[in-house]
Amino acid sequence: MPESLDSWFKREIIVHEAPLTRFLRRLCPATEDIPDLRQETYARVYEAARKARPASAKAFMYGTARHVVVDRIRRRRVITIDTVRDLDALPDLVDDVTPERQAAAGQELRVLAWAFDALPPKCREVVWLRRVDRLTQREVASELGIAEKTVENHLAKGMKRLAELLLGNRQGDAPDTMQHPNENSHGQHQTD
Amino acid sequence: MDSTRQTEDTAAHWLARRELEDWTVDDQAQLDVWLDAAILNRVAFLRLETAWEQTRRLPALAPGAGRRSVPPRDGWNVSPFFERRQGEALPAARFRQPLTWAAALLPAALLAGWYLWPGDRTFETPIGATASIPLQDGSNVTLNTASRIRIALDDRERRIELRSGEAFFDVAKDPTRPFIVEAGARRIVAVGTKFSVRRDGSAVSVIVTEGAVRFDADDAGLLEAGAVAQTRGDEVAVVSKTVREAEEALSWRTGYLTFDETALGEVVAEFNRYTPRPIRIGSARLEDLRITGRFRATNTDAFIRVVEQGFRVEVEAGEKEIILR
Repeated sequence: MPESLDSWFKREIIVHEAPLTRFLRRLCPATEDIPDLRQETYARVYEAARKARPASAKAFMYGTARHVVVDRIRRRRVITIDTVRDLDALPDLVDDVTPERQAAAGQELRVLAWAFDALPPKCREVVWLRRVDRLTQREVASELGIAEKTVENHLAKGMKRLAELLLGNRQGDAPDTMQHPNENSHGQHQTD
Repeated sequence: MDSTRQTEDTAAHWLARRELEDWTVDDQAQLDVWLDAAILNRVAFLRLETAWEQTRRLPALAPGAGRRSVPPRDGWNVSPFFERRQGEALPAARFRQPLTWAAALLPAALLAGWYLWPGDRTFETPIGATASIPLQDGSNVTLNTASRIRIALDDRERRIELRSGEAFFDVAKDPTRPFIVEAGARRIVAVGTKFSVRRDGSAVSVIVTEGAVRFDADDAGLLEAGAVAQTRGDEVAVVSKTVREAEEALSWRTGYLTFDETALGEVVAEFNRYTPRPIRIGSARLEDLRITGRFRATNTDAFIRVVEQGFRVEVEAGEKEIILR
């Protein structure tokens, strides 16, 4: 049933966005289209899960991400001996792509507060008035003195940023840790 | 690819409309058509929906808040949010979107709208880590491995004390408040520029990649973009390079070390800044080997492998150190 596939996908796949992003970044340290690779990974996982849900969602997700990257590299013909070696070594790396840390009780709320505060002022107001005060689009518009269409635009923008912040920093990745470059521990040697 | 972004935009508008409008069966039917049109559409939508559902707990943040009043930033009652221990970095977030590949690699990315509090704070990075620290004035500091810095901003000046290690400064223009970096006995003054300062004991080196800085206020004078200044005892030697060469010397910011015909001894010294298990050169004949290439700073193994295969060097990997013979 499509409905339950959607919620399975959210629960088992999308919640791992932070480690998935790190994983992709580690595979492709020099690329800017991480979101692109990420979405392609999501799409392939979703498509496969339509036929049969993988037993281990997360391992399947990493495997898929790896394929996405390998395909991309082949298409662009920028393969180097080191890249190949590193890609072959990938399955071993998966284990130490740290999964989410266990969140302390208050942690999730703190992350939420932090993400919410990071929104631009108008987005932040729109999100609050809608989400918490349950104002209608018209009420939000008159409350803030902006057009109704603008309310939609701010909300859409806020939703995008919240996804970036909340999913990208899932479970305590955000407020008080710094990432270590050695998370990208596979080698790359370029001589030109 | 732009299409990822476009798809995300469209998905966000669908989700916003569903949230805001009186959602009819017709609307839902239209949304379903869009969702079914491509799996990329569907996963983009599900992704935003997942995050949006997490905001359901927003009311829990301000239980007593009056209706129609949006609580101020940082006004949350979620306790130890900001009781960060000294040395911990500020929140890292992938927020500012147009990431250059360099910024994408910065271990801790920037967060727009999120600033260091005024006052006095100390930050440090462990071996092998780097951290990005956005300052209240819009400047940004990138700390390299094993570095320690104190930041004090007030109305009159922005004062940074580099206690050890290396830092790169992207300084926001503010003529009324000079940006001063102190490294031991040396002072570097900037007004809107990009430069790095590295300290090894009392030796200090400065690399400027944009604008200009005053080194020690009086003696070495103005350092322009491309300048590499190095103290030797009391003297300061300044070499002018191209901005590109200067940038290369700062490739650590992207997680890489770049070498161009660099002596093995020097290369090894660089790598050793990033690892608790240092490399030692155990044979004099190796000192003169020249290395060219780009390596991940924290991946000593890859470097060792290249040296091993390329130069027929024997590698003795002990628990505390790695010896090259």
